[in-house]
Amino acid sequence: MTLLNKLRPPPRPARRRSLLALAGLALPVGAASTSGASGASGGTAQSGASANLAMIGEPQTLDPMASTSDLVGTIMQHVFETLYTFDARWRVVPMLAAGMPIQSGDGRHLAIPLRQGVRFHDGTEMVAADVIASLRRWMRLAPRGKTVAGEIVSLHAPNRYTLELVLRGSYAPLLAQLALPAGFAAIMPAATGDGPLQRFIGTGPYRFVERRADQYVLLRRFDQYSARAEPADGYAGRRQALLAELRFIPVPNPNTRIEGAMSGQFHYADQLPVEKLVRFDGQPQVRPVVTAPFGFPYAVLNTSAGILADQAMRQGVQAALNMNDIMAAAFGDRRFYTVEASHYPPGSPFHSDARASDYNQNNPDKARRLASQSGYRGGAVRLLVSKQYEFHYRIAMVIGSQLRKAGFLVDLQVVDWATLVQRRNQSALWDIYITHSVLLPEPVLAPPQLGSGAPGGWDSAAKRAAMERLNRLADGARRASEWGRVQALVYTEVPYIKLGSFNSLAACAASLRGYVAMPWPFFWNAGVAA
Amino acid sequence: MLRYLGTRLLGMAVVMLIVATLVFLITRLAPGDPAAMMLGEQASAADVARLSAQYGLDRPLPEQFGRWLMEVARGNLGHSIFLQIPVGEALLARAEPTLLLALLGVTLACAIGIPCGVLSAVWHGRMVDQAVTGVAMLGASMPSFWFGMLLMQLFAVELGWFPVAGYGNPEAPLFFEKLRHLVLPAVVLGVLNSSLIIRFTRASMLDVLSDDYVRTARAKGLPEVQTIVRHALRNALVPVVTVIGLTAALMIGGAAVTETVFGLPGIGSLVVSAVLRRDYPVIQGALLVIAATYVLINLGIDLLYMAIDPRIRY
Repeated sequence: MTLLNKLRPPPRPARRRSLLALAGLALPVGAASTSGASGASGGTAQSGASANLAMIGEPQTLDPMASTSDLVGTIMQHVFETLYTFDARWRVVPMLAAGMPIQSGDGRHLAIPLRQGVRFHDGTEMVAADVIASLRRWMRLAPRGKTVAGEIVSLHAPNRYTLELVLRGSYAPLLAQLALPAGFAAIMPAATGDGPLQRFIGTGPYRFVERRADQYVLLRRFDQYSARAEPADGYAGRRQALLAELRFIPVPNPNTRIEGAMSGQFHYADQLPVEKLVRFDGQPQVRPVVTAPFGFPYAVLNTSAGILADQAMRQGVQAALNMNDIMAAAFGDRRFYTVEASHYPPGSPFHSDARASDYNQNNPDKARRLASQSGYRGGAVRLLVSKQYEFHYRIAMVIGSQLRKAGFLVDLQVVDWATLVQRRNQSALWDIYITHSVLLPEPVLAPPQLGSGAPGGWDSAAKRAAMERLNRLADGARRASEWGRVQALVYTEVPYIKLGSFNSLAACAASLRGYVAMPWPFFWNAGVAA
Repeated sequence: MLRYLGTRLLGMAVVMLIVATLVFLITRLAPGDPAAMMLGEQASAADVARLSAQYGLDRPLPEQFGRWLMEVARGNLGHSIFLQIPVGEALLARAEPTLLLALLGVTLACAIGIPCGVLSAVWHGRMVDQAVTGVAMLGASMPSFWFGMLLMQLFAVELGWFPVAGYGNPEAPLFFEKLRHLVLPAVVLGVLNSSLIIRFTRASMLDVLSDDYVRTARAKGLPEVQTIVRHALRNALVPVVTVIGLTAALMIGGAAVTETVFGLPGIGSLVVSAVLRRDYPVIQGALLVIAATYVLINLGIDLLYMAIDPRIRY
């Protein structure tokens, strides 16, 4: 035994799990299995325990409607709840609503029954007036809410526990929009108003206690929480605050998050670099958590201005790319990425091979030909990227090299995230930028380029018609086939290029029981072993 | 003396005005927008414009600068866009970990640097000297984040002696607990900064040891330790004090990398976060305070010279 081993405190008892077993815990979009309770077995959770949860940074705001940031959603979904939510197979199911909406034949009139006896954190009961005020606030403040506002003709309450919506026409993504925990339609008391939130009063299993910027956001168990009766399933079903306190700690340095998890200081460490998986080898006190699939990196192309406003040029860029190299450079380990044309993984109803031949072409000659057809004279393609996420940078490096090989002059502009966010809103300043999105169950939710007003300015008659058809269809099978047409259009008009899919890595203390991997991590139903 | 002080204070005011102008210009000329950062990925241009107008960021730059300068002259450093509190309050809240860290770091740097520098000079050209010089070079060239990660792995993960990150529980503040959180970052700062002190102490001691008065002291038969400590070291400390002062100023100004790696809520990590968020008032206010600290410590060092070396008078 080395001196270090003698001095080291004894590890906490825990079962070591293989990566493959963990990958099975994650929740594929539309996949069949939903039994993903990680670490649920063995050990008894302590109901009075607290958990330290290392997050990637400080939330921009705690108003769940004011920001679409995933971090804000992750934290505040414990405080605020929505009418509907997603189960482990990404089906929309009721949360604060008592059931699914009762819909008129033409799909324009919806009656949503509300659960009775649900208490806000200030002790008052949630009624329809609160829901209407919350949805109106959401439609005024949140980007997703504004999209939905365009579909809603009226919103009223026939009684204390029923909400009625009249839509412009059938709008299939409505419930998914109401369920998404990012920039979300959080239900709060009617008196809240449109200004900056002063108090964070929701109905969730945890109530807000304190925020110390750059130190923590502290949530405490809400004793009067009204849980649903159904068994827990993804974000849905019974939510139990087993932990007395949740302390979300901003730890921007990923290495510090890893070491904090290894030392036992953090019960959970979010979004770790995938190449650090080996750090968990032989460490019984901490286990890696893989969420698969987590999301997709993509390159946004500027369709409204600059050198790529020409469609043939964008198709040329698409033809030049070799996704195997791009994804390998970005994520390294094959267990953390897939190279596939479909925007949705196998198992999802939206999985489609439409125009799959346009993906991963790796054809510099074709790229050169298309560029030549469009009259390309060697102007610089401005490729904007930040190092906020290291894989964005690695992707940009490879894309730059592949475009150069195809005869494009590339101006790689490495800026910080704040600069990228500002520049991408000014179409004259860029041609391509690299970003990523969480994989969401409903096509209209991501990426934002499928909606209107997103960076890149994609707006064509074909797109408007395709999205209109997709959004008006209620029938699941017909929607899936319609989505194939949208995917084909994306490969034709090339407003963005999906590069592949990737899985995320997080770390859990072995003592944290009942944690279920989902893209926005949540900690109700999780406890710390005694 | 008073005249000297007056001149220095006047000079400091000019320096601060220049610093304020530069800080304002650099902050505003850098791309990025605090409103866009606050609102997130999918905010519309109209939303960003509205929030910008709310904070007066749509006003012409000279107007913004004039207003800020007027407020600073009144002692008001502005209001943080992100934190939603006065900048002065934010800085005060972050001062404690930074000051304690600087105190521990400088103490450790001196405790290592001065004795090692003296030993290196006394045994000039011998094994001790070579070892100390080599270690000092290593320290000077080692990145603080890397050294920090090494310490974390050894003392936090392997041995479990110290926490990896944070500053203890602010709800139940225990001084001992805070100190535990500061040990590893203080070691990083202390060890890495000691190399500069070692080199300055060594060079200065080598100069002094060859001076006539040291030879005289030895000729009088004074014990070697007394000769080195009381006669040589005291005079050799004048340039070393400058280095110690500047090191302290740098640490008080915020050891940004170390604080960020160890998740310490100090002034350094506040500045880094403010830059990433484009929280202009915090960046401006913090840099102004850091610059003021720097020039004040410089003045303090100059005054300290008189106490160390009676030959120096202003």
